[in-house]
Amino acid sequence: MELSINGQMRTLNDAAVDPAMPLLWALRDVLNMTGTKFGCGVAACGACTVLVDGQALRSCVTPLSSVAGKAVRTIEALGTTEKPHALQAAWVAHQVPQCGYCQSGMLMAAAALLAKNPNPSDADIDAAITNICRCGTYPRIRAAIKTAATALRAK
Amino acid sequence: MMKRRTLILSGLGAGAALVVGWGAMPPRSRQGGADTLPVVDGEVGLNGWIKIAADGSVMLAMHRSEMGQGVHTALAMLAADELDVPLASVRLIQAGPDKLYGNVAGFVGALPFHPRDSEPGQETRSVKTGQWLVAKLARELGINMTGGSSTIADAWDVLRLAAATARAQLLGAASLRWRLPVDELVIIDGVISHGSGQKAHFGEFAKAAAATPVSTVMVKDAKDWKLIGTPAPRIDVVAKTNGTAAFGIDVRLPNMVYAVVRHCPMLGGSPGAVNADAAMKLAGVERVVRLGTFAGSTDALAVVGRTYWHAKQGAQALQVEWQAPPVGVLASAAIIKALEDTARAAAKEQGGLAFHSRGDVPAAVKSAARTIEQVYRAPYLAHATMEPINCTARVTGEGAARRVEVWAPTQMPGAARAIAARAAGVAESAVSVHVTYLGGGFGRRLDVDFIGQAVRIALETDGRPVQLVWPREEDITHDFYRPAGVALMQASLDAQGLPTSLSVTSAGDAITPRWMARAIPALAGPIDAPDKTTSEGLFDQLYDISNQRIAHVATHSGVPVGFWRSVGHSHNAFFSESFIDELAFEARQDPVAFRLALLTDAPRHAAVLKLAAEKAGWSTPLAAGRARGVALHESFGSVVAQVVEVSLVDGRPRVHRVVCAADVGIVVNPGIVAQQMEGGVIFGLSAALFGRIDIEGSVVKQTNFPNYPMIKMADAPRIETHLVASSRPPSGVGEPGTPPIAPALANALFALTGKRLRELPLQL
Repeated sequence: MELSINGQMRTLNDAAVDPAMPLLWALRDVLNMTGTKFGCGVAACGACTVLVDGQALRSCVTPLSSVAGKAVRTIEALGTTEKPHALQAAWVAHQVPQCGYCQSGMLMAAAALLAKNPNPSDADIDAAITNICRCGTYPRIRAAIKTAATALRAK
Repeated sequence: MMKRRTLILSGLGAGAALVVGWGAMPPRSRQGGADTLPVVDGEVGLNGWIKIAADGSVMLAMHRSEMGQGVHTALAMLAADELDVPLASVRLIQAGPDKLYGNVAGFVGALPFHPRDSEPGQETRSVKTGQWLVAKLARELGINMTGGSSTIADAWDVLRLAAATARAQLLGAASLRWRLPVDELVIIDGVISHGSGQKAHFGEFAKAAAATPVSTVMVKDAKDWKLIGTPAPRIDVVAKTNGTAAFGIDVRLPNMVYAVVRHCPMLGGSPGAVNADAAMKLAGVERVVRLGTFAGSTDALAVVGRTYWHAKQGAQALQVEWQAPPVGVLASAAIIKALEDTARAAAKEQGGLAFHSRGDVPAAVKSAARTIEQVYRAPYLAHATMEPINCTARVTGEGAARRVEVWAPTQMPGAARAIAARAAGVAESAVSVHVTYLGGGFGRRLDVDFIGQAVRIALETDGRPVQLVWPREEDITHDFYRPAGVALMQASLDAQGLPTSLSVTSAGDAITPRWMARAIPALAGPIDAPDKTTSEGLFDQLYDISNQRIAHVATHSGVPVGFWRSVGHSHNAFFSESFIDELAFEARQDPVAFRLALLTDAPRHAAVLKLAAEKAGWSTPLAAGRARGVALHESFGSVVAQVVEVSLVDGRPRVHRVVCAADVGIVVNPGIVAQQMEGGVIFGLSAALFGRIDIEGSVVKQTNFPNYPMIKMADAPRIETHLVASSRPPSGVGEPGTPPIAPALANALFALTGKRLRELPLQL
């Protein structure tokens, strides 16, 4: 099976995967791309959020068969150390993460939001960010999304 | 009647009591010798905390676990400030199992002293004696625990002194080499220099420094701090925004396999006959392992597979005849009813263990104009750390050559090592424990059950590493729960409605003795040893009511219980601060003014309350349909007040704004303190609005986030944190933000609706 992940075609050994296997486990346990997290397994917490053709999807319930031929983007390719995504820079500026476990999913959900909506209102953010953070970083995430949106609009 | 000495020692259990009477020597130094830290590649150890790399960089032994509370940053700040090196240049290395790294402050903090008797610098004689004894015991026992909001309090003197000593040695070595007076040398960004132009980094002097004896070393004066007190960026933030931060569940090793656990649906039940045929037919499923019990876990099965997904499918396909638990069926509703009966019966006869008594409650009641009495209730709660419970283990070699490696997100690396050794049948010296980042701890990772399970599975995987992961459903249904609690709150009032006595009789299972029995069994005492956590948040608050009796009845409900962020305070603050609000109402007084009038002897508490009220605009009008509520609470040595603004949306509470004021002693990093207050508020709000674990027929009914919901973005309030300047030694930060939010919200809902909610979660 072939998958387009972060702009590269990745071949998954057919013996190792199954079309019904959720994308999350192909990323984490087959490709060892551990930036995308497992939280609940039932699409409730959003820790596993990735972009599939630009849409935020919960990879723990997204079977591999449904992403064939589509572009998957994960936290590993949101930005680079030299050139972080505006969201990552804003996350650092606002000192968002505590334990950090949910942040990959939060960032990917926020990236999908900003790609569609360059100037999200509080209500837009509430509707788009339905991920769970047990450390309670929501107020800082909200502020960081607005900072990133402003930075991106200025570009 | 419990003897005072027994009470004092309860924080460490009976094991500790065995060594009472030994020696009058002061506790041993916690600096550690130059040979404590392993060195490679020209590194030089200076003490048990600091070594210097050949390039001059400072390497700090990191003994505590980072679970979001910011201790890796804050501890590095303490060392960097004394050494005058940039924070970003400090390299963290995991501390080993040396007893040097044991937690002393956390255990001293577990002593059930009243804050009035244990104010730093003004401790009573018996408090001083108890603290000295437990500090000495804790130093000898060396239990490495990240918990009890104790990390900075514990390291404050120790780590700064270690760094200051290293600094003195490095300067001394430079002074000798350059033949220049030491007081003419300066350190800027880790480089020692002299006005004459001499200049070199620490690496140049490290060897000589290690051989340089020092006499009196002084830590910096507060006025000379460059980092302490600043909102320095966290050292883990970049890795936590690009996916590279490695949590336990992210450990990847060559040839690794995955395992998924399946426990009996009934708490305490175990597997009987197992038919694994269907599971073993699935692709990618390798084997089934019967686990046995480890550190409080119940017997369970694990399926090993190529990936988590394969193993999970295998676990679901197992056909198991589950065996009911050997004793009684657990039902939370019946337990909570029984707790109420217990509390009422004890209150009638002044029963339970009195953690605090003053004045004469019966006399006050007799002469009172009237009395009031209310019952408050709190449910069981699960931790639900975002990172599911997991541990990676590898067992290699046979017999005397057997070695065990463990990679774990744990708050207890020493206990992890001990249970790993037991599970593999080796000595502890054959086990290495690698502590990863923790994707949340909240007390769940003070238990090491899952570590024993992982090592047990690794015995069956032919030397290949195995990563055990609990599905979320196993986590929610097989936790060590925050115990359910009930309190009978009674007060007598004078003719003006002012309180003349306060009597609290609470009931619930004690955590500490049960946790010690499973996590540190060598030190465990009797299960009924007095446990401060049962009554904390009730007996230790400073309202000046002249007659008080605050007692707890420790029960045996049978549900596995554990430490949950802020522990006893998590529900007891709801009981005490809601009831104080009721007393304010009875006295027809403003809730802030009423509290302040009872805090004339507690200026620190009064200052925090005033700051919160002022910043929240307590006396200013609010928009129609909104109301404010307040709560003030001391926990882990810190005082926090919160003012909540609430309205109803579709009949449900909507929290708009939380103003938080806190006195946490000297603030090491105000940015991290603000983060922790925000996090504590939201953690507490999830519990206040949604949190409940219900048990029927020994089965936990909640299973995953859809039926054990959390606050999300749309529910999250604006939160402002304001800190009171203090010169007291640092106290707790990670937990004290949680206790006040539930009562502040309940009090706001009372102000809004006139309805007094006395049970968690809050339901109108």
